Amino acid sequence: MNQSGRLHPISIAIREIADIFGRMGFGIAYGPELETEWYNFDALNVPADHPSRDMWDTFWVKGKEGEERKLLRTHTSPVQIRWLEKHGAPTRIIAPGKVFRNEATDATHEAQFYQLEGLAIDTDITLAHLKGTLERFCKEYFGTEAKIRLRPSYFPFTEPSVEVDVWFPAQKKWLEVMGAGMVHPKVLQNAGVDSTKYQGFAFGLGVERFAMIKYGIPDARLFHSGDIRFVYGFDEKKV
Amino acid sequence: MKVSLKWLQTYFDEQLPSADAISDAYTFHAFEIEETQGDMMDVKVLPNRAADCLCHRGLAKELSAILDIPLKQDPLRTPFENRDIVSPYLKVEIEDPKKCLRYMGALVKGVKVKASPHWLKEALEAVGQRSINNVVDATNFVMLNIGQPLHAFDAAKLVQKNGAYAIGVRNAKEGEKMTVLSGEEYTLTPNIQLITDANADTPIALAGVKGGKAAELTSETTDIIVESANFDGTTTRRAAQALRLFTDASLRFQNRPSPELAAYGMRDVLALILDIAGGEVVSVVDEYPARPQVAPVSMSLQKINGVLGSDFSKGEVEGVLKRLGLETKIIGEMFTVTPPFERTDLVIPEDLVEEVGRIIGYDKIPATELEFHVGHPMSYMPDQARYRGIERMKDHLVEQGFTEVSTQSFAKKGDITLANPLDKNMPALRTTLEDNLKVALEQAKHYAPLVLPPEQKPKLFEIGTVFPKEGEFVELRMSERVSAWGESVGTFDNLSIAKLEEYGKDYVPVRYELGAYKPFSIYPFITRDIALWMPSGTEVSETEEVIRKHAGELLARLDQFDKFEKEGRVSYAFRLVFQSMERTLTDEEVHGVMKKIEKTLTAGGFTVR
Repeated sequence: MNQSGRLHPISIAIREIADIFGRMGFGIAYGPELETEWYNFDALNVPADHPSRDMWDTFWVKGKEGEERKLLRTHTSPVQIRWLEKHGAPTRIIAPGKVFRNEATDATHEAQFYQLEGLAIDTDITLAHLKGTLERFCKEYFGTEAKIRLRPSYFPFTEPSVEVDVWFPAQKKWLEVMGAGMVHPKVLQNAGVDSTKYQGFAFGLGVERFAMIKYGIPDARLFHSGDIRFVYGFDEKKV
Repeated sequence: MKVSLKWLQTYFDEQLPSADAISDAYTFHAFEIEETQGDMMDVKVLPNRAADCLCHRGLAKELSAILDIPLKQDPLRTPFENRDIVSPYLKVEIEDPKKCLRYMGALVKGVKVKASPHWLKEALEAVGQRSINNVVDATNFVMLNIGQPLHAFDAAKLVQKNGAYAIGVRNAKEGEKMTVLSGEEYTLTPNIQLITDANADTPIALAGVKGGKAAELTSETTDIIVESANFDGTTTRRAAQALRLFTDASLRFQNRPSPELAAYGMRDVLALILDIAGGEVVSVVDEYPARPQVAPVSMSLQKINGVLGSDFSKGEVEGVLKRLGLETKIIGEMFTVTPPFERTDLVIPEDLVEEVGRIIGYDKIPATELEFHVGHPMSYMPDQARYRGIERMKDHLVEQGFTEVSTQSFAKKGDITLANPLDKNMPALRTTLEDNLKVALEQAKHYAPLVLPPEQKPKLFEIGTVFPKEGEFVELRMSERVSAWGESVGTFDNLSIAKLEEYGKDYVPVRYELGAYKPFSIYPFITRDIALWMPSGTEVSETEEVIRKHAGELLARLDQFDKFEKEGRVSYAFRLVFQSMERTLTDEEVHGVMKKIEKTLTAGGFTVR
């Protein structure tokens, strides 16, 4: 009998993450990879010609004069806006998908990678909920010994903004794994949500980075190489 | 921003703690530390604080608030006498007040340009700057100290009209040329702002970016014009980007420091120049068309705890605001802050909430799990139906022997092309997964012996976004038809229009646990088959064990793939795949291993066919 095929490790990682967040009440949303400047930047409170745009090296699409400029989304955050516009609050979603950064590739940087966005909006969601949610997630994903800590950061679409580090007891070290924060009121307003009534948190994590840490994968460029030797580079067990 | 700990210490009477403690203080309450090297610390100032923290004063102020150690003196809180030296000797003309928010110029006569005093050289070198001469060093020192970019021109190189110098701020003309201090000549466009000698209408600096060669200081210089200005962030940023000329000045201006700062910069730099280069201030001109208004920001204690999920007291919040030096009016549990001019980042209540959270520390915020309220709209099951539909398709394909791959979204040709591709050979977005999957399949066929049993051909699929001119969609592409899906089903599908919700609604995707990643070898592999008549009663697994044992660590894979019975005897065929992690194997080497295996097996009663 033929042996069965294999799932790509990105699929396996997203399944595990989706399962954990599913148990915490998060649905799954998708959005386009070819985005408008509005959804990728302006609606997320990243104004044109603002130095904060330098945080994302962007692939721009050749367009026609007078048309809205299009780009390859630099993060999955635009899905927040698209989802809230359509479904409003309260809501809890995660949004996995491919994103693009125009930067030189090396073992830790790929110009295309998967990000997973999280968003929870309600009348009373706080930074403490962000901490509780991410702590539970990291313990379930990396093991009960894992713990998290928050550090101050800056993202135009969250206020306050934090960087999330996870403690790995085996390696005895903290690793920075994601950016997060309380959704900026302007972002809620831009998506048509009443920011005087609703608030909540958002976070974004790099799926490859999570898989690299969890399975000890040394090079980010392996993921989207189309090489089956990478897909078969793991002992696999059905849960 | 590179800071010197010694320099920071000048802001405090109290001895600062160790570099490690300072590093932790910044890391957990303000900014990451890029690196520490002896006295030098490289602080990664966040974009929203680049207006006030790209200087020692800003970072000292932060440290003061975090560690609760008072500043000895704060140059931005030290009042200064308004020395209005209105004189006919210097004039300033601003063409567009939206692009130049303030321009202060000072004419200083009788300076002596020479080497800097030791302390100044040492201070600059401690943060990786090069000492040039006393006047230039003074401008750099004050910039690194309080954040205001400054410049000094040699007045003698400017034209005087009716006994007065005139500084102009205007857009460059198309094709106008200018040579900067470091010697490069730039051809300019009108979106680049210039500082000119207005009497001659010739450029003397790229506004907010870099000084020009035309008015460079030399050891002969005696009269100087000092500039302390505020150039618009967008204009400066675009100029720096267009010229690919990123300087300490352009970095600061693009982050929009308050134009108020210019007066403090001028005060400090003039005092320092007089001190170390001598001379006399003859004239100070201040063109300040529109002074920005600072709006108060209010937040309640309830708002703070309501956003952070904390239980901070009124006293704790009051303490934080005080340590940050924020002028606060408190009525009941309402805090109204009038931010100091340099804190341009404090605009909405949430900005203040962040100040409270980070200064007290995010470790003081509890970790609270999200709840499911009964009857609340969020109490329903989360909607993962579409995702589960897609995953169900994947699971089905895997069952059918298909392996999932992921390939690059960029292509040689396509309907949509990038304005700035990373790889010039791949300037477009893929319109189909077909081409990539073909390449992946060719490779897979080559590598198949490493991962699949000998009689199994690789079958691949990919799910990914494609970008034809009709609009992007998620494509499912298979390297061959799925026989279980019937004759009519092809090798691809558009999952964006497929109705997957019903199909996925109640499906639970298969979950896998993966072991640690085992890197594959980059060296070629060699396959060898061996067929054996086995002695009666011998199990295949025993035979495999013998082969493994004698093949050693060069054996990358072993499969039993054929069985043949004749006259009561059974023959099994095995495929051995050899590969080294370190080098290319030779045929002779593998031949030697095979001989060894055959010899051992023969001795054990096997007959090699």
